Amino acid sequence: MFAAALRHSALPLRLLLASLLLLAACSKPPTETASPDYGQTFAPEPGGTLISATIAEPSGLIPMIAGEAAASAIASNIFNTLLKYDKNLELTGELAQSWKVSPDQKTITFHLKPGMQWADGAPLTSADVLFTWKVVTDDKTRTPYGADFKLVVQAEAPDPLTFRVTYPQPYAPALDSWAGLQILPQHLLKDEDINTTAFARNPVGSSYYQLESWRHGESISLVRNAKSTQGQAMIQRLISRSIPDTATQFLELLANNIDYMGLDPVQYARVFPSRPDLSKKIALYKELGNNYTYMGFNLKHKPFDDIRVRKAINYAVDKQELIDGVLLGLGEPVASPYKPGTRWANPELKPYPYDPEKARELLRSAGFEDHDNDGILDRNGKPFSFEILTNNGNKQRELSAVLVQRRLKEIGIDASIRKVEWASFIERFIKTGDFDVVVLGWSLALDPDQYSIWHSSQQAPGQFNFIGYNNPHVDKLLEQGRLELNPDKRMKIYHEFAKILLEDSPIVYLYAGYGLPAIHKRVKGIDNPAPPAGIGHNSYDWYIPAPLRRKEITP
Amino acid sequence: MKQTLTKAFSNPLALIGFFIIATIMLLALFAPLIAPYDPDAIDVKAILLSPSAVHYMGTDGLGRDVFSRMLFGARISLLVGIVAVGIATAIGVVLGAIAGYYRGWVDVFIMRTVDVMLSIPTFFLILAVIAFLTPSIWNIMIVIGLTSWMGVTRLVRAEFLSLRNREFVMASQTLGARDARLIFTHLLPNSLTPVIVSSVLGVASAVLVESGLSFLGLGVQAPQASWGNILTDGKEYIQFAWWLSLFPGLAILITVLGYNLLGEGLRDVFDPRTSKNKL
Amino acid sequence: MIKYLLKRLFWMVPLLVGISLISFLIMHLAPGDITTTEAGFNPKASQESRQKLREMYNLDKPLLVQYGLWLERMSTLDFGRSFASHQRPVFWEVTDDKGNVTPGLIQEALPITLLINMLSLGLIIIVALPLGIISALTQNRLPDRSITLFVFIGFAIPGFWLALILMYWTGVVHDWLPISGLHSLGFERMPWWGQMLDSMRHLALPVFVSALSGLAGISLFVRNGMLEVLHQDFVTTARAKGLPESAVVFRHALRNALLPLITLLGLAIPGLIGGSVIAESIFAIPGMGKLFYDAVLMRDFPVIMGILTIGSALTLLGNLLADLAYAWADPRIRRGVMQ
Repeated sequence: MFAAALRHSALPLRLLLASLLLLAACSKPPTETASPDYGQTFAPEPGGTLISATIAEPSGLIPMIAGEAAASAIASNIFNTLLKYDKNLELTGELAQSWKVSPDQKTITFHLKPGMQWADGAPLTSADVLFTWKVVTDDKTRTPYGADFKLVVQAEAPDPLTFRVTYPQPYAPALDSWAGLQILPQHLLKDEDINTTAFARNPVGSSYYQLESWRHGESISLVRNAKSTQGQAMIQRLISRSIPDTATQFLELLANNIDYMGLDPVQYARVFPSRPDLSKKIALYKELGNNYTYMGFNLKHKPFDDIRVRKAINYAVDKQELIDGVLLGLGEPVASPYKPGTRWANPELKPYPYDPEKARELLRSAGFEDHDNDGILDRNGKPFSFEILTNNGNKQRELSAVLVQRRLKEIGIDASIRKVEWASFIERFIKTGDFDVVVLGWSLALDPDQYSIWHSSQQAPGQFNFIGYNNPHVDKLLEQGRLELNPDKRMKIYHEFAKILLEDSPIVYLYAGYGLPAIHKRVKGIDNPAPPAGIGHNSYDWYIPAPLRRKEITP
Repeated sequence: MKQTLTKAFSNPLALIGFFIIATIMLLALFAPLIAPYDPDAIDVKAILLSPSAVHYMGTDGLGRDVFSRMLFGARISLLVGIVAVGIATAIGVVLGAIAGYYRGWVDVFIMRTVDVMLSIPTFFLILAVIAFLTPSIWNIMIVIGLTSWMGVTRLVRAEFLSLRNREFVMASQTLGARDARLIFTHLLPNSLTPVIVSSVLGVASAVLVESGLSFLGLGVQAPQASWGNILTDGKEYIQFAWWLSLFPGLAILITVLGYNLLGEGLRDVFDPRTSKNKL
Repeated sequence: MIKYLLKRLFWMVPLLVGISLISFLIMHLAPGDITTTEAGFNPKASQESRQKLREMYNLDKPLLVQYGLWLERMSTLDFGRSFASHQRPVFWEVTDDKGNVTPGLIQEALPITLLINMLSLGLIIIVALPLGIISALTQNRLPDRSITLFVFIGFAIPGFWLALILMYWTGVVHDWLPISGLHSLGFERMPWWGQMLDSMRHLALPVFVSALSGLAGISLFVRNGMLEVLHQDFVTTARAKGLPESAVVFRHALRNALLPLITLLGLAIPGLIGGSVIAESIFAIPGMGKLFYDAVLMRDFPVIMGILTIGSALTLLGNLLADLAYAWADPRIRRGVMQ
């Protein structure tokens, strides 16, 4: 008996595995053998489900409290703002049908659309807007976004369709701030503590969708809101699955389990082209976002206080190589802190070209030469070496740092790389000013005001001018920019601002990378090529034709 | 001695383990001579090439030769394993010896500390500490070492407890031998065999822990190559850039396997209780 | 017996205090706190807003005071509220005056982790027992060698690598198993047996991958335990008495070899509760591992402390139970002869 058992010693294991797989395979309903032709055109029709994935689940769905990107992505489908940006990035009304700025430019009056309702049927009026303003400016509210709104000295709702705010002086970024404040329902929140209310997990909004269900840690499901103040969206249901690992997300995309994913350059430019079968069901898009990656100097540390050194490093870095190597060509060079192609980006400015000779010359004029022939430049006996800091978890920044390090080595600068986890990064290095060079990025608002990043008054620990930039002329320009409401005059101010910035070279602009969404071909109605606002601008008009929808279990 | 060696060599699995480890160590040692390219040599025109006669194991996301990076990565993986285990063993032997020899409240204190450390999930502890400090190869080695000494302590203490009551110890004590002499010349050498086994196995675990930390972005930092971070860099394209996953994955697998086979083989050799020829 | 139990319980208290102190200190090693991570680098978040946040969370008080406050709350089993998840309770659900229930973080994550780990442990035992026995009975011959090789390979495979390969094979190339997550969409509308099947299909890969690495430890343990027992005198006696081999193996040797297995299972308990961070991240499973990792990155102190303390407490409890079970199972101890 035992001899027999020994001969089949792995039998129990094999049986177990086989039965598990068998069980799994047999139990699935028979799948379609032929997949539909996703390339066909169809007329728009309402219905269907769009599934996307998110790396981190939102902590709550009240945007002013939650703050993180995952929360605002979902909450933006539920709540409305007074204003919004249209496909060409111009301001237009969302809850407001019109607005007027007073002649002294200190008062803005919004006229709301009539007859609006919350998803639970209650009327949406200016009282809700006033209430939201009170909450966001309340000191007890745990929100980091109160600053813009606290500038308002008087806010009033004289009648249900009018909301008026008064500032002590003209504040150009004001309208942009009202395009970012999501209006909350007074009738549901007036007796609640906004910081702990259960509303965050069960919100009621006024926009295209409302919350259907939220399985914590797994998925959030939104369903069309019949009472939407903006009209009806085409797609019936939006589901956001929480999938922390991007490798897993990609597998789910390949397996048709999610419809939308942001790709990285390798997936876009190498994986997809190598698999023609993928292009039959998934379409790739390219859009420029409102962010840029840069290398920043600590202007309070020698030798970065010397403009020749900064310019030299700017000449030594080959930006095209970064775009080719890190982004596989999927990005654009930047010469001003604005999105290329928008009115705020100065079209006359060109990035510093790759010129190692010029770099060496500039360094020589600053006193850096290789006196001891060890391959590293030195000055007064000290070698030119420093640490490039960047944050953990961002592959592109890491690769960029490696490429920059190599180019610097070629002109005799010894740079080492250190990746630090985000919270440590901020607390231990940025806030204390204990760093030399960082590789980071800025994700910008649509308003051109960059006071908090570049003004000399914003250098305290924890503020955003952590590189220590101090240029009185720039200070004046930034202050003027906030007061000037005329877009053309503002444009000139910011163009000049960018010009000085490029000349001073306090940072080296590395690139602006494209967003690379991959969307399943069952989703129709996408504008390609993307307008300035990105392909998502008309996401509420996207539709999924009935023959292409997933088989869903119906009640 | 001869008997031990014969026994060791009669176990084919242990032999396989030994050869695996010897090969990897040689490769790591001679990496600069064997590697055809500089492991840090970037070539943006050669990004993600599949294995060929020019690049035996293909290239990575910055065009660096994977084979060369694997060779230098072997150094890192082995270094992490050996230093971490070295630290753990040193701490464990000292604490175990003190606890086992002196007993009393010292013993109680040490063993309670062991209990406390064992109750906290180890990986969580390592994760938290590395995330809070800066991930660097030294921090990783030290933290793994500081969280793996408990087993060794228990082993050494157990050996001391059983040995201290043997006659030769009591005899030495009667002859007036000092504590230190007793510990170092008599007790310790006899306690070492389980420690050796545990150390070999510990290196295997340390290699796995490093690769796990790399997956979370907390392992050895760029541009240094480690098997863990080569594997992690390629995880988004496993079906496309299969070489970035296959080679480091196999390397980790074979190395850990080698250490385990050797360790278990040694345990079989040293442990008289499982010897087949007992009767 | 009772004395033993009381002594163990008595020791648990200082151990727990020690554990919580160590955890607290380690956490505050870290530079940065919740205000850094939440509003850290958003140009719209002003400095005063962040300072207010710090005050509200008590982060500006000295360390000892913070620990004291925490211990005070802990004594009433109130682990506080999470900084990062919009004030959700760390441990157990909270019902507000309107009847809205806010589920606790650990309350939701722990059952998932426990389920996966227990299934995994179960699978390990089912597979490792026969493997260990066969190994022992065929010591040093081919079956023993190949089993040893197999379990070691299982241990040596980097888990996330295997997971990705299996996910690709079973989920993308073939449509056999789901790739990630715990439930399919439309789960609520399935009949009860559909739900069970759906859960099993989702758990198949995670359980398999975690079980594979645990096989080595237990099967070798069983093997060595059996071998040790098989070479003892009473076994020789049994054989000399003419008992059939199966009786020798199963009735005598196995039962004696299995006793230490109980202790080993006790040692496996911290692993049960500390879910694997990596596996949960890859398979998108919202368990304790992921909860802990996210809390570390967000410097969410109440959650970190809560997990470490609860995890450790359950571990100590589990060890105690394992020791008690061993003491009960081993007749030598039960009858008060030894120890």
